[in-house]
Amino acid sequence: MSPLFSALLVGIAMGALIQRVGASSPRMILASLRLENIAIIKFMATTIAVGTVLVFVLGTWIPMHFDVKPLYVLGVAIGGLVFGIGFAVGGYCPGTCVVGMGEGRRDALAAFIGGIAGALVFTLAYTLIEPVFIRPMNYGKVTLASATGLPPVVVAIVLAALFLTGVTVLPTRRRATRDEPV
Amino acid sequence: MAGIPVSTPVPVGQTIARPSRWAVLGALFGVVSAAAIALYGPIGVSGTYPRLIGAVLRRITPAYAAANPYLVKMGSLVTPETMLVVGLLIGGFVAARVARTHAPAIERVHASETSTARRYGDAFLGGFLILFGARLAGGCTSGHIISGITQLALSSILFAAMVFAGGIITAKLLRGGD
Repeated sequence: MSPLFSALLVGIAMGALIQRVGASSPRMILASLRLENIAIIKFMATTIAVGTVLVFVLGTWIPMHFDVKPLYVLGVAIGGLVFGIGFAVGGYCPGTCVVGMGEGRRDALAAFIGGIAGALVFTLAYTLIEPVFIRPMNYGKVTLASATGLPPVVVAIVLAALFLTGVTVLPTRRRATRDEPV
Repeated sequence: MAGIPVSTPVPVGQTIARPSRWAVLGALFGVVSAAAIALYGPIGVSGTYPRLIGAVLRRITPAYAAANPYLVKMGSLVTPETMLVVGLLIGGFVAARVARTHAPAIERVHASETSTARRYGDAFLGGFLILFGARLAGGCTSGHIISGITQLALSSILFAAMVFAGGIITAKLLRGGD
């Protein structure tokens, strides 16, 4: 199966899962960020726990196409903060607004157009941004395994156990909220 | 599960016996995310936005597009990630039709969104900030938080911590009820 066709199928499955869990609903995103109903955060933590064990256990037999992002502290930290603010302002992320457009949400289209504008400003300002926020303090493609010297499969299992314990122990709803379906 | 009304108290034994919707769908997404890494590479979305801009600028102003180092770095729109984004659109459309759910045209999430125009304004501003932030950090919810932490990347753990710190504080500040 070609990478392009594989990615199309992965995207269709991902879009359907995001729609069914309610992550394309800005109301659900805000309920998570207000810590009123953290079902979407639990969904993400479960995804990571299952995925990390699968790739590192299966990776001992079959080749995996890993692609770790470099740790440039300033850009990653400030970018994450700006992303978090935007996440709370609009209730969408770059993928969920596309799923929302598929569902017929008009504010999702507004978020997508805003996203194009944000990416355009970044593109135009890249030569000013890169030397200040991306080039310095770049520690490369470090992982929890490479930093600790532990085998990746061990770290993956420990991380998955922590995440699965967290999603099991923490209450999904802090108090009786509205009629969100989960 | 979907069928349990929120307002009805559910016996404790029943909630333990039936896995939650987020748990089932999260586990499935974990399999999909791992399958992507096995088949071609980690899932990601936000890089498609500058690639789309690059594809347009290469048509209308090829000299600038060739001179912009970021557009050169991000490369062609013909890439698996673009197909994934097309898939998201199809998946959202099909899942909503099959499940017969009718998504609202807009969802107001802040007390300040007193009109449709203000909701569009918040959605646009939110979209602007998430893409600017994602491009600065080199990934978004899928590329950094999901597939980055799946690969145990320290940069993705830092990104996720900052996203939730910024998001939770902003959501609390923007409160005021709806």
